[in-house]
Amino acid sequence: MFQNFRLSMAWLHTWFGLVLGFVLMVVFFYGSLSVFDREIDRWAIPSSRFAPQPMPSFDTILAPAFQKMQPAKEAVALLEGRVNGPLPERFEVVNSWGAYTTHRDPVVSVFAGFKVPNAKDPDETVFAVHALDPRSGAVLPQGQLRIGSEFFYPLHYSLHLTWKDLGYWIVGFSALMMLAALVSGVVMHRKIFREFFTFRRHKTVQRGALDLHNLTGVVALPFHFFFAFTGLVIFAGIYFPVAHTQLHDLHELHERVEARETGLPHERAGVAAPMASVDKMVAQAQRRWEAKGMAGDVGFVNVTHVGDANAYVSVYRAGTDRVALTGEGIHFKATTGELLRKDPPRTAVDSVNEFLTGLHLQHFRHWMLRWLYVLGGLLGCVCIATGFLFFVEKRKQQHAKAGGQGARIVDALAVTTVTGMLIATMAMLVANRLLPESLADKGEWERTVFWSAWGVAMVHAFVRGGAVARAGMNPAWREQCWLVAAGAMTAVVSNALTTGDHLARTISTGYWPVAGVDLSLLATAVVSVLVARKLARRAEQSTASATSTPLPKGGALGASMKNAEASHG
Amino acid sequence: MVDPIVLLGGAAVSAVIGFGWLALAMDTHWEQVHGETSPSPAAVRALRVAGALALAVSLVFCLGADHPSMAALVWLMLLAGSATAIAATLSWQPRWLRLLWLRRGGDGR
Repeated sequence: MFQNFRLSMAWLHTWFGLVLGFVLMVVFFYGSLSVFDREIDRWAIPSSRFAPQPMPSFDTILAPAFQKMQPAKEAVALLEGRVNGPLPERFEVVNSWGAYTTHRDPVVSVFAGFKVPNAKDPDETVFAVHALDPRSGAVLPQGQLRIGSEFFYPLHYSLHLTWKDLGYWIVGFSALMMLAALVSGVVMHRKIFREFFTFRRHKTVQRGALDLHNLTGVVALPFHFFFAFTGLVIFAGIYFPVAHTQLHDLHELHERVEARETGLPHERAGVAAPMASVDKMVAQAQRRWEAKGMAGDVGFVNVTHVGDANAYVSVYRAGTDRVALTGEGIHFKATTGELLRKDPPRTAVDSVNEFLTGLHLQHFRHWMLRWLYVLGGLLGCVCIATGFLFFVEKRKQQHAKAGGQGARIVDALAVTTVTGMLIATMAMLVANRLLPESLADKGEWERTVFWSAWGVAMVHAFVRGGAVARAGMNPAWREQCWLVAAGAMTAVVSNALTTGDHLARTISTGYWPVAGVDLSLLATAVVSVLVARKLARRAEQSTASATSTPLPKGGALGASMKNAEASHG
Repeated sequence: MVDPIVLLGGAAVSAVIGFGWLALAMDTHWEQVHGETSPSPAAVRALRVAGALALAVSLVFCLGADHPSMAALVWLMLLAGSATAIAATLSWQPRWLRLLWLRRGGDGR
């Protein structure tokens, strides 16, 4: 098909990179934001703006809250058709209670899983999920969306396409093809070492874009490779769901055998029984970790078969001090507090898996590495964005001569996924601050604003794209930069006005989660303005010279875009 | 016990300096920094060795600050960041890198 290997690699890189690049841009950008998802949550929900707390007392704080929990109406509504007979008013049988926190969370996530009576699938469970203030045990209102961990983070790995888990599959396929794009990119790139530090921004836009594409791809190559790869490892269970499809019966049998081996009951006994003090079990678990030289905080407490004689309590460690995501779970009989089991030492395969998963999910406490991950993610965004620019620059003269629309369409999609995505993000943050707290379904409104803003940005990019078909520059880049800047400023100001947490206060009191989001927004605004002005100057020059030859100041766009991305944390 | 912040700072600084030296060992970048001259073969060798050593020193600093698995990640990410920083400096303010290797009279040819 192609004359040589390099050409076939170039074809693969160009076309798969182009199509999946739009997905990967979203994955990289919201992945970068997800590094600070908990901090964005603080910004979005002012009632959770206090210092991170350790796991609260189970007996006095968590248990009373759990007892009051019932699944939300929306969750119950989803059961329609999955049950023989009517849905119950109240769910009585509790399969599990779980409480989860990290060193960055002021609030604890609490979830209760209820058995669904008369369900067609006997394993059917309906969940109630809340954020809980560990100081008082009060649950936070449910209509509020934790924008960082409930919106940006799932957007990163599922694109919020929940229908048949389509989003997972698209992201997974893109990650797989990204690995191919990295390899083919290295094959195509003849001067990896000779041009390692090269960014010729004074030459043409095409040259500058390609330099920046190569630079950001090569210097962060280990990051790109490991994150695409570990992302796939984390979701291997979704991509190869043998346990719950072809091998369902075997899986069930395995669970029973495992339950017999571990002594952790697989089924309820059917006899009601009260619980002993869970706090004492937690304290014992902590003593056991300490004895192993792994003293640490509790990250996750789970009670299985709540209220039954077979109930057991599992206590897991928060993984703040190492990369590997290792829980060192210890399990107790809930009725007596007697030790049932300690998770055995890990096998080599488990250790590798935990390291790879931990590397990606980053539960560790290391602020510098967190910021370096943001940098890596944004370098990825720059790499993808400059890839689009290069594609367009290389073809637009030719397409203009032939009257083709290809470059125009790709350019408009690039505007949509670069500045359009930023506009959607800013619009959501502004909506979060300006919509009244009391609004029921506030979170739904925020989602609507996000997608609408993105849609409008896309229409704008296409409408203004005529210039590209004449080998010019799409003014939408410049106009959307102004909008991003305006949105970022509005978000910062409205945060100050609606909560009183302006930068002078958050910085002087050292409340970095909120100050950090505000400062990142300000940096984004500054860079967007600089980019917009640079683009405006270039547009003036090009109308003045009225030629279609590339401008001497080429690459400025790529350069300033790089800054735009790099400073957005 | 040295404060991890100091060690990590040291790791970052030595990674930037290391990449700066490795860049200066290349003709095109040497010219960007020092004008129309090329480095002498001896200078190129010295720059390469010094650059590699500085990157190694950066790894040692990282290992001093964290658990080895974490240190390896921090180091790799620092390399990405510092290479970008050197490339950006070469593009905007190449003269700043003069500070890394003061040219002696003999180097120019």
